[in-house]
Amino acid sequence: MTTRQIRLTVNGQERTVEVEPRWLLADVLRERLGLTGTHLGCEHGVCGACTVLLDGRPVRSCLLLAVQADGHAVTTVEGLAQDGALSPVQEGFRQEHGLQCGFCTPGFLITATYLLEQNPQPTREEIREALSGNLCRCTGYQNIVNAVEWAARKLAEQNSAKP
Amino acid sequence: MKRFRGSVDKPGLWPRKGGRLSGRGACRFATQVEYIGQRRTRVEDARLVQGQGRYVSDVAWPGQLVMAVVRSTHAHARIRAIDGSEALRSRGVFGVYTARDLGGLNRPMPMGIVDTSFEPALQTPLAADKVRYVGEPVAVVLAEDRYLAEDAVEKVRVDYEPLEPVIDLDEAAADRVLIHEARGSNVLGGFEHTVGAGEAALATADLVVEEVLRIGRVSGQPMEPRGVVARYDAEQGVLEVYLGTQSAHGAKGHLVAMLGLPPEKVRVIAPDVGGGFGVKMGAYPEDILAAYLALTLGRPVKWAGDRLEEFLATNQEREALHRVKLGVQRDGRIVALVDRFLQDCGAYTPMGSLIAHTTAINLAGAYRVPNLYVSYQLVATNKVPVGPYRGAGRPQGHFVIERMLDRAADRLGLSRIEIRRRNLIPPEAMPYDTGLVLRTGDPIAYDTGNFPEGFESLVAALEPRLEERRRAAGRQGRWVGLGVANYVEISAAGGFEGAIVEARPDGTFLVFTGAAAQGQGHRTTLAQVVAERLGVPFESVTVVEGDTALIARGVGTFSSRTMVMAGNAASQAATAMRQELLAAAAKELEVAVEDLEWEAGRIRVRGVPASALTVGEVVQRLLQSQERVRTEAYFSAKGATYGFGSHGVIVEVDPATGGVSLRDYVMVHDGGQVINPLLADGQIIGAAVQGIGTALYEEIRYDPQGQPLNTTYLDYLLPGSAEMPEFELIHQRYAATNNPEGFKGLGEAGIIPSMAVVLSAVEDALAAGGVPAFFAATPVTPEAIFAAMNQGGVSHEAASV
Ligand code: FES
Ligand code: FES
Repeated sequence: MTTRQIRLTVNGQERTVEVEPRWLLADVLRERLGLTGTHLGCEHGVCGACTVLLDGRPVRSCLLLAVQADGHAVTTVEGLAQDGALSPVQEGFRQEHGLQCGFCTPGFLITATYLLEQNPQPTREEIREALSGNLCRCTGYQNIVNAVEWAARKLAEQNSAKP
Repeated sequence: MKRFRGSVDKPGLWPRKGGRLSGRGACRFATQVEYIGQRRTRVEDARLVQGQGRYVSDVAWPGQLVMAVVRSTHAHARIRAIDGSEALRSRGVFGVYTARDLGGLNRPMPMGIVDTSFEPALQTPLAADKVRYVGEPVAVVLAEDRYLAEDAVEKVRVDYEPLEPVIDLDEAAADRVLIHEARGSNVLGGFEHTVGAGEAALATADLVVEEVLRIGRVSGQPMEPRGVVARYDAEQGVLEVYLGTQSAHGAKGHLVAMLGLPPEKVRVIAPDVGGGFGVKMGAYPEDILAAYLALTLGRPVKWAGDRLEEFLATNQEREALHRVKLGVQRDGRIVALVDRFLQDCGAYTPMGSLIAHTTAINLAGAYRVPNLYVSYQLVATNKVPVGPYRGAGRPQGHFVIERMLDRAADRLGLSRIEIRRRNLIPPEAMPYDTGLVLRTGDPIAYDTGNFPEGFESLVAALEPRLEERRRAAGRQGRWVGLGVANYVEISAAGGFEGAIVEARPDGTFLVFTGAAAQGQGHRTTLAQVVAERLGVPFESVTVVEGDTALIARGVGTFSSRTMVMAGNAASQAATAMRQELLAAAAKELEVAVEDLEWEAGRIRVRGVPASALTVGEVVQRLLQSQERVRTEAYFSAKGATYGFGSHGVIVEVDPATGGVSLRDYVMVHDGGQVINPLLADGQIIGAAVQGIGTALYEEIRYDPQGQPLNTTYLDYLLPGSAEMPEFELIHQRYAATNNPEGFKGLGEAGIIPSMAVVLSAVEDALAAGGVPAFFAATPVTPEAIFAAMNQGGVSHEAASV
């Protein structure tokens, strides 16, 4: 089968890979680039475990061919922490016990990160709505909502601390 | 021995634990920090939130082959021939294997539990002559990657001779078509048990209500599908298997039995496991096949199951048909309960009669049931095999008693709350022998708790809100109802668990246990137990779990057993370690142990601050004359632990859509001595949401040909964040009496009453809308609600205007 060379900016780094056109972005991230933080829960676009940011917007990496991402920027869960410090959303999940098995977590973190960029002060209802495309079988969601609220408070503090 | 009093707390607030250690005369070495009972964030999380978890599907070895499975497309068929020649020629394919290629390996796989109550029907790794459910493995393909392996799967030709399938339980029990011909019947086993006068007591009841209750089949659906990676380390001669399992030691036992290897040559590692809920237990064909192929080929073999396979080939649960009679007096008091049920087994019995038996022993719930008769039959059908899913019979048993109490209350004109008040076991009756018996032979005797107090706190929290909710919703044409239900969580019955504590020269400690977590956070909670019992900082304790090479004996994590079993084992091993270190320090400092005090990682002579050693120094001294400083303990609780709880929910039904919204959901729970309230609440809420799924959304459906109709998340609905309510928790704490730490299981609590309580609330809402309804089956979908409305003469069009 023919392959194609694609270029991705993954978590800020330029990566070039030779891929078969039918390979999914999720599989290329996981198996070719070693970024196994992106998880595959359903591979049919419902569970959201595979969510990554493509040019800053959340996409299902199980529904996208890697060649479709050619020339674009991808952010995965591995790219959320800055200089070794957890992002507010990551820290919120830890503080509020927003994860149990952790399998769904990368997708939730990515979706929540995007949510807070769009809407820094969401209500609990808005959080639930925004996360409704991600499934978690462990937590029952309540602590995930708490985690996102925690992150929103943290971000607000950080922003007000800035001159 | 009563270890501490119970108390009811305000919703969401945990009591501070006070003076417990000193109350036991252990104050000499009292620790500064009490970790047991402390709300702590998890040590697991920093890795997991950064995508650094290592799940089975993340494991990859150089030179590995990927396995894909050819699965039966028929529910019941004879296999005439399998042709893998085209698949073999497919690009990147290494091999195609059928039952014939496996030789002696292809024999029945061991059952996942010990159960001698009937002769099981066990699956072979690959179907040889006959398939008995859609999804049963008939061949496997090995290829360079998963894409290529799946290409080849499509090219394997299987010639089937279709047979008539049996899907319905009554039909299967009639034995017109046999699934396991050699058995002569689809009824594989049975059981009966009588308490008091049994069925005869119904004659003395003022009223006998009779119902046929049907519980739908559901699937556990952890977010991580099952998977396995096996490799043979030729140098060490060890087969190393990474497995997404709840029981690494159990899996090792199955591999040893099937492959005929000495135990020391098999190592099973459960890395990060993405949820288990009971389904990642027992012997599965893919585990055996991947291990066998890796061993024989000398190359690593990986199988990462996908979501479709999770629907087609992972144990499912709940389905059962109950024929029930409940006899009550005019005042609502229970006279007798009679339940004859058919337990669906699916095509095989990988986990024995566990679910049916657990259902049977849960029938009395939290009530005085002086007379009871229960019998069940284990019935094979052409469906996915049945194995435990969180609750594993507890929700079913409670569903029966709680539904019947609702029915009886309605018939007597009594409120559903009142009938429960009149039947709850009072605290004075503790310990209360239900007359039911555990598999271990121990009587089921509820030991502690105050059920009425818990129930009343639930009623007090919810009842006052009902009218306001009704007024608000009524303005929008919606109907509001309240449901309540009680439960007793019988857990941790049988088996043992172990813990090894190892001291290191830097003064830190390692803890090894066989009971690995799938999200429960054992690395945190067990470290809390060990740190408290040792009297060392939490941070100095590291828990290592799920590797059979690090602890020889173990059982695993299921049945809400780990904190009871491994928790007490860890406590005992830590206490022993503390004594060992104190004795060594006493020798070194030339004083008696009684003259020592242990504080902040230092052991010193009382009153002589200069005469002291750090814990690390003591360990170093010991290591001069011994290889390791280790203590180990194995704990087995007698009987079971019994946690009580009540659930109540206010729901809103939209008559125009049949949609149900959950408005207020309150849970009372007695978890005994809780180690970490943050995590305990997480378990309870998570389980409740799964139970709501079973009540409202989830059901695996089969057509008459045995084809599963919903095998994706588009048509098998899991609860999502937008539909789920905010839960309020009320805590009770009555320590268990059968283990020194007073721990009780709590992992299944939340799921036990949720089916019953949600159905009850929906009925109450319909009644408020003038629609009398009784739901005898789960789930209650919008269709079921419309059907009830039509029957009640209320059309949803009319209701929506
Ligand atoms: S794996 Fe992509 S949405 Fe489920
Ligand atoms: S934490 Fe396990 S699925 Fe969400």
